[in-house]
Amino acid sequence: MSQNSEPIIKIRNIHKRFHTLRGTVHALNNVTLDVMPGEVVVVVGPSGSGKSTMLRCINRLETIDGGSIVVDGIPLTGARNINKVRAEVGMVFQSFNLFPDRTALGNIMLAQRVVRKRRRAEAEAKAHDLLVKVGIPEKADAYPGQLSGGQQQRVAIARALAMDPKIMLFDEPTSALDPEMIKEVLDVMMALAKEGMTMIVVSHEMGFARAAADRAVFMDMGQIVEEDVPDVLFSNPSHERTKLFLSKIL
Amino acid sequence: MPDESSRTDPVQPASVLPPEHSGEGIPEPSAYERTIGWLASLPWWAIILGVVAVAVLYSMLTSVAYQRVIRFLTDDPQSSTTDLFSVVQIVGEPQSIIGRYVGETEDSVQTVIYNLLDDVIDHHLVTQTGFIESESPAAITVRTLDNQLITIPKDRIETEERTEDRDGVRITLTYIDRVTVTGIMTDRDDDTMTIRTVNEETTTFSTDRILSRESTVIPCDTDANPGCEDREVVTIERQGEIITGTLNTLSQTNMSLALPGGDTREIRQSDVDYFHVPTLTIAINQDRADQAIAPGDEVRIAFVEGTDITAALEELNSLEDIPVPLQYADGEARAALVSYPDIDAALEATGTGEVSGLVYLASDEDRLAVADWMDENPDSGVILPTPPRECQRGCEVTVKLVDETISGAVLEETDDEITVQTVAPEFVVLDRDSILENRRMEPGVCALNNLRGCNAGIFLTLRVTFIAYALALLIGLIIGLMRVQHNPFLYAFSTLYVEVIRGIPLLVILLYAGFVVSPWLRDNTPISLSDEWEAIIGLAFGYGAFIAEIFRAGIQSISRGQMEAARSLGMSYPQAMRYVILPQAVRVVLPPLGNDFIAMLKDSALISVLALPDLLQLGRLYVSRTFRAFEGYNTVAILYLLMTLFLSMLVRIIERRSRLPG
Ligand SMILES: Nc1ncnc2c1ncn2[C@@H]1O[C@H](COP(=O)(O)OP(=O)(O)O)[C@@H](O)[C@H]1O
Ligand SMILES: [Mg+2]
Repeated sequence: MSQNSEPIIKIRNIHKRFHTLRGTVHALNNVTLDVMPGEVVVVVGPSGSGKSTMLRCINRLETIDGGSIVVDGIPLTGARNINKVRAEVGMVFQSFNLFPDRTALGNIMLAQRVVRKRRRAEAEAKAHDLLVKVGIPEKADAYPGQLSGGQQQRVAIARALAMDPKIMLFDEPTSALDPEMIKEVLDVMMALAKEGMTMIVVSHEMGFARAAADRAVFMDMGQIVEEDVPDVLFSNPSHERTKLFLSKIL
Repeated sequence: MPDESSRTDPVQPASVLPPEHSGEGIPEPSAYERTIGWLASLPWWAIILGVVAVAVLYSMLTSVAYQRVIRFLTDDPQSSTTDLFSVVQIVGEPQSIIGRYVGETEDSVQTVIYNLLDDVIDHHLVTQTGFIESESPAAITVRTLDNQLITIPKDRIETEERTEDRDGVRITLTYIDRVTVTGIMTDRDDDTMTIRTVNEETTTFSTDRILSRESTVIPCDTDANPGCEDREVVTIERQGEIITGTLNTLSQTNMSLALPGGDTREIRQSDVDYFHVPTLTIAINQDRADQAIAPGDEVRIAFVEGTDITAALEELNSLEDIPVPLQYADGEARAALVSYPDIDAALEATGTGEVSGLVYLASDEDRLAVADWMDENPDSGVILPTPPRECQRGCEVTVKLVDETISGAVLEETDDEITVQTVAPEFVVLDRDSILENRRMEPGVCALNNLRGCNAGIFLTLRVTFIAYALALLIGLIIGLMRVQHNPFLYAFSTLYVEVIRGIPLLVILLYAGFVVSPWLRDNTPISLSDEWEAIIGLAFGYGAFIAEIFRAGIQSISRGQMEAARSLGMSYPQAMRYVILPQAVRVVLPPLGNDFIAMLKDSALISVLALPDLLQLGRLYVSRTFRAFEGYNTVAILYLLMTLFLSMLVRIIERRSRLPG
């Protein structure tokens, strides 16, 4: 996959500040990161370190205050059709964010019909295929309220995949799940990684990171502290902050 | 059945009887038993309250007084009507109208019909002067003096006058420009329209009044109309009606009587054959006429048994210049009324001085007896100081109307009564093509097949509420969406609207709509709002603010994650709103929207300030007419209550059905 030497995501010196009543939070401070096509990057770091903010900036759910982001050759600042970029980048949220008034099938079909303008039959066939892929074809007509957390997250992944994205962003996809459901979601992600999908995953699942990730990134206080192959970063980190953090979660 | 084993689990003693078995032993409770069971589970006060409520409702709805109010409040709708609309159609072709007449003999009928049609079919005549351009057997083309060419079909020309001129043939034409048909539309299809130009008129009267009667039987044309019956056409000379009532007013041309039933009847003097107005006659003893009366004296006044002495004294009081003895009411003298069996005896007593005078109120004929007696007894000492005076108001009058002749078809006849249709309905069928202009379309009678005619009472309340609510939803949705925008202009505008409207009482908003906005529109734009639309707009704008706030809260209650998920899938903001946020928000806002609908139904009672005959207004009218405030307002309240109860039931059902599974 990586015979193309051009990174599919180029993040250069971005800054993000939140202005709140209590003061200004410097959520991203001079972050630079490249992701190659087909690469799987795992991001770890303490709560509040800016992991989610970085993902949201890539998806333009947040605007950046400085620096530049180029996704698949399109610079995000000043991009004319930002919705087009968004459709190329799938996002999976910690809290699933399924549409509660639509069935699993309806959730997966909606954006296909509205954004991709696919015909009903086509969208439905695609949705069925994806439900098979994430392992819950029998839940096609269930509403989110009738699904377990793991099943909901798998529908959310299928929903993002339905747009045929080039990049998938996962923001702590398993943090809200009961332990016995984590595996079913990670299996789906693992399979996706094997297919060569470009992925940025915020997750503290070390097993998954070691098995699937090409690279691990440690963030703290809005900065990327260090990055390396997962095995090296987890077992032999070079920074004190990384060691401290890993000692807390392992 | 993998669960079967767990049912017979010995740890559970409750399952000694398998559920299937108990189902066989005890039959399913019937609906009746379930109702009884449900009733029994209610608290005792609820049962008593329910029974009382049902009893009160039942007794109210079956009582005649309440039924009358309800009929009044609901605009008294009929189940169906043949009268759809009153219309005025302007048509160009006079030939298509005249001569559609059914029945009766040639001559008499045609005049009747012609007269009637004159009222409803109006020819608009135009006179033009010009020079003949060309003339054909069918039409004349004229160049008018202002140099226009007009072509007039010959059959429309009424008069023409030609003079030779050196410029050509000068012609002055009077022709039918257009014809107007007035009537009630009874039927229409794609090509034609049937208009009833004359209302059928029937009259029912007692056979005693028939003075003479001629009748002819018109045999039924069974070829054209199989199964019809022969018709009897009669010409009846009928004795004029005799009406007795209390005189309200009497003028040279008219009189007005209050009838015993409480109605009043206006009668033209020209319709009156004769009538007797009681006349007040005053006779006085000659000696007593000059005598002064000292305080404390007793004045004896005679009257004849059976006369209406109260009315007579009232009439007397209205007179001035009555000789002293009869001014009994000024507090100086006491009056004693003495009755006599007949007028002769009373006059004799007046002559002998037994009484000072006589007051006598009677109709024309009886009054002549006084004059006769005076002629016969010139030396009796009785004088008539004032000319007799006719009663002007308040006395009983009997009026006999002139005899009349009516003719028409007999509809029904019994020994006592006969019903005659004097004017047959006249139908005109117009081609749609020939209609040049539709001048007016007024709703006809209120009926279930013509709800356009139902313009008052409960119908008005419901219609105004539904239309106003639909508009308010639209306004609320737009303003509510503007309220969640970051665009400062949209946000400021919508916030201003919401805050201003919410801070003003609805009544004031309605008055603005009716007396400020609507007149302004009428003066400055071609828009002219009817009273109903003024009310609808007032209600819609007033409620729009509340509904906007409901929508805003509903949209904001949907978690931010929903919008982010939709946007991350590539939807634009409007797409995300339309397909993700609003469908969820609508579920959230359904109950408060339902509540607002019910509130609006109640608040629609305020529109009566715009002089609209809504439910409340009719109720007030009924009360002011009959003084039955209790029944009137009770019925108004109950009708509102029934409507709101029904609606809240509906809202609850919708709410339950819109609940998401899981
Ligand atoms: N919408 C926001 N408004 C204000 N502060 C925010 C917002 N989103 C994130 N932050 C702040 O930015 C910092 C980084 O947040 P986040 O990226 O969510 O951290 P992480 O995902 O690593 O836990 C935190 O201090 C958080 O409080
Ligand atoms: Mg986070």
